[in-house]
Amino acid sequence: MDALISYLVNVISLGGTYALLALGLAVVFSVLGLINFAHGELMTLTGYVLLAGILTGQPFWLAVLIAVLACGMAAVLMEFAAFRPVRNASGATLLMTSFAVSMLLQVLFQNGISARGQAIPVPPWLTTSISIGNSQISKVQVMSITIGILALIALKIFFDRSYWGWAIRAAADDFEVVGLMGIKASRLISFAFLLSGLLAGIAGVLWVVQRGSVDPLMGFKPVLAAFIVAVIGGLGSLTGAVAGGFILSAIEIALQTWLPAGVMPYRDAITYTVVVIILSFFPNGIFGKRDQEKV
Amino acid sequence: MSDTLLTTTGLAVSYGAVKAVRGSDLEVKEGEVVALLGPNGAGKSSTLRAIVGLIKYQGSVTFAGEDLTGAPTERIVSMGISMVPEGRRLFPQLTVRENLLLGAPRKAKIDALFDELLEKLPILRERLNQQAGTLSGGEQQQVALARALMSKPRLLLIDEPSLGLAPTIVDAVYQILADLRKTGLAMVIVEQEVMRVLKFADRAYAMTTGEIALQGRAEDLLASNEIKKVYLGGA
Repeated sequence: MDALISYLVNVISLGGTYALLALGLAVVFSVLGLINFAHGELMTLTGYVLLAGILTGQPFWLAVLIAVLACGMAAVLMEFAAFRPVRNASGATLLMTSFAVSMLLQVLFQNGISARGQAIPVPPWLTTSISIGNSQISKVQVMSITIGILALIALKIFFDRSYWGWAIRAAADDFEVVGLMGIKASRLISFAFLLSGLLAGIAGVLWVVQRGSVDPLMGFKPVLAAFIVAVIGGLGSLTGAVAGGFILSAIEIALQTWLPAGVMPYRDAITYTVVVIILSFFPNGIFGKRDQEKV
Repeated sequence: MSDTLLTTTGLAVSYGAVKAVRGSDLEVKEGEVVALLGPNGAGKSSTLRAIVGLIKYQGSVTFAGEDLTGAPTERIVSMGISMVPEGRRLFPQLTVRENLLLGAPRKAKIDALFDELLEKLPILRERLNQQAGTLSGGEQQQVALARALMSKPRLLLIDEPSLGLAPTIVDAVYQILADLRKTGLAMVIVEQEVMRVLKFADRAYAMTTGEIALQGRAEDLLASNEIKKVYLGGA
């Protein structure tokens, strides 16, 4: 029972972060047909802004807020500076641009800040645990689950109730026809990047607080996981991004928890084998469209 | 019916080396219903898509006295041109209500218009909270028409309104179009069902291989054999 509680807590905690990250990728993919691999560097940027906020004596909550907002603004800036000039180019060009932006930011972080990891001094109240039965759950995990779930609920309300939420869901179905609704394409794309950046910011805060540090290459692993999550769910599917996040998390945590020690080095290989098996049953992802034309 | 609403001059569309439309000149007057006819690949849909700015073109487009050449789609829509695309292309994951509300300008006061449309198309009221992708073809066509009307257009471009619909449903769709005509709404209808649309339209243009091969009053074209030649490639 305790093992199950511990398992579920870990799945929800990691799954929520994956879902937020994958949603950020899916939102941009919906409007631009682009998997933005620089999404991970937005997370890294969030970590550095959070660190700066804490080191300059800001209250933790304010440092978090500033970091998330800065990440949203950085995403809008990224779209304006890097992606807008090549908006009508091929999918391959957009993809290369996202890799270039990713590399550029990594180098800037390495040379402008430090190539080494920086510890994130989280407040003492976050370093303790609470007990559920015989299970100990860290407050960081409680925070992660709470913020993850609240963010997903807020997003659900946004997508269901707001004009821009409808517009992004509509863009995921048919971007061209969204233009026929009189919606300005560049405004919708900027808005999608803002939303994507805010999601990367929230996920970034959860990620760095859980790992306790930030480094220039930190964003690669989570963005790769988010990409896999988005593929499992169905590229461009917002529902699929959330489902995929929890599926990948359930697989990873199950293997982490129950895999024999001798097989543990093969954990990632086994994870991705399971992903491939899922995709062999759902070639376009669980919630994906039958014909996917975007790249 | 004398005021010109839409004019295209030398409208040409190319897809790479393929010339889909080769300099067509169209005119639509206020309140007029114009049919755009022709076999598959004649350039009809490309003409409509160029008018609303979905594809690049050469030539010029003037609407209500304003030059809209090269204007972005959102400006064209805000000027009063709306389009029902081929195959309806509703947003299938969105509800009927969400589809309709997206069709209206974001800050517009639309309650009265919304109610008026539901009055005209009562079936939509029953389906408001249903996902658009789950509707029948006829219901989807009604939603597509209503969505296009949410921006209060002066000119409605309709691409293949009868495509994939049973004859009785097509009758119902054309009855809705007849009701819209009474409101003074101008329409350009691309249609494969030639006889039906010629009976409905005021004037018609027939295109072959990207060019306008024939034009005139719909009833004159209906009475002549010329339109058959267009479809058989003899014009």
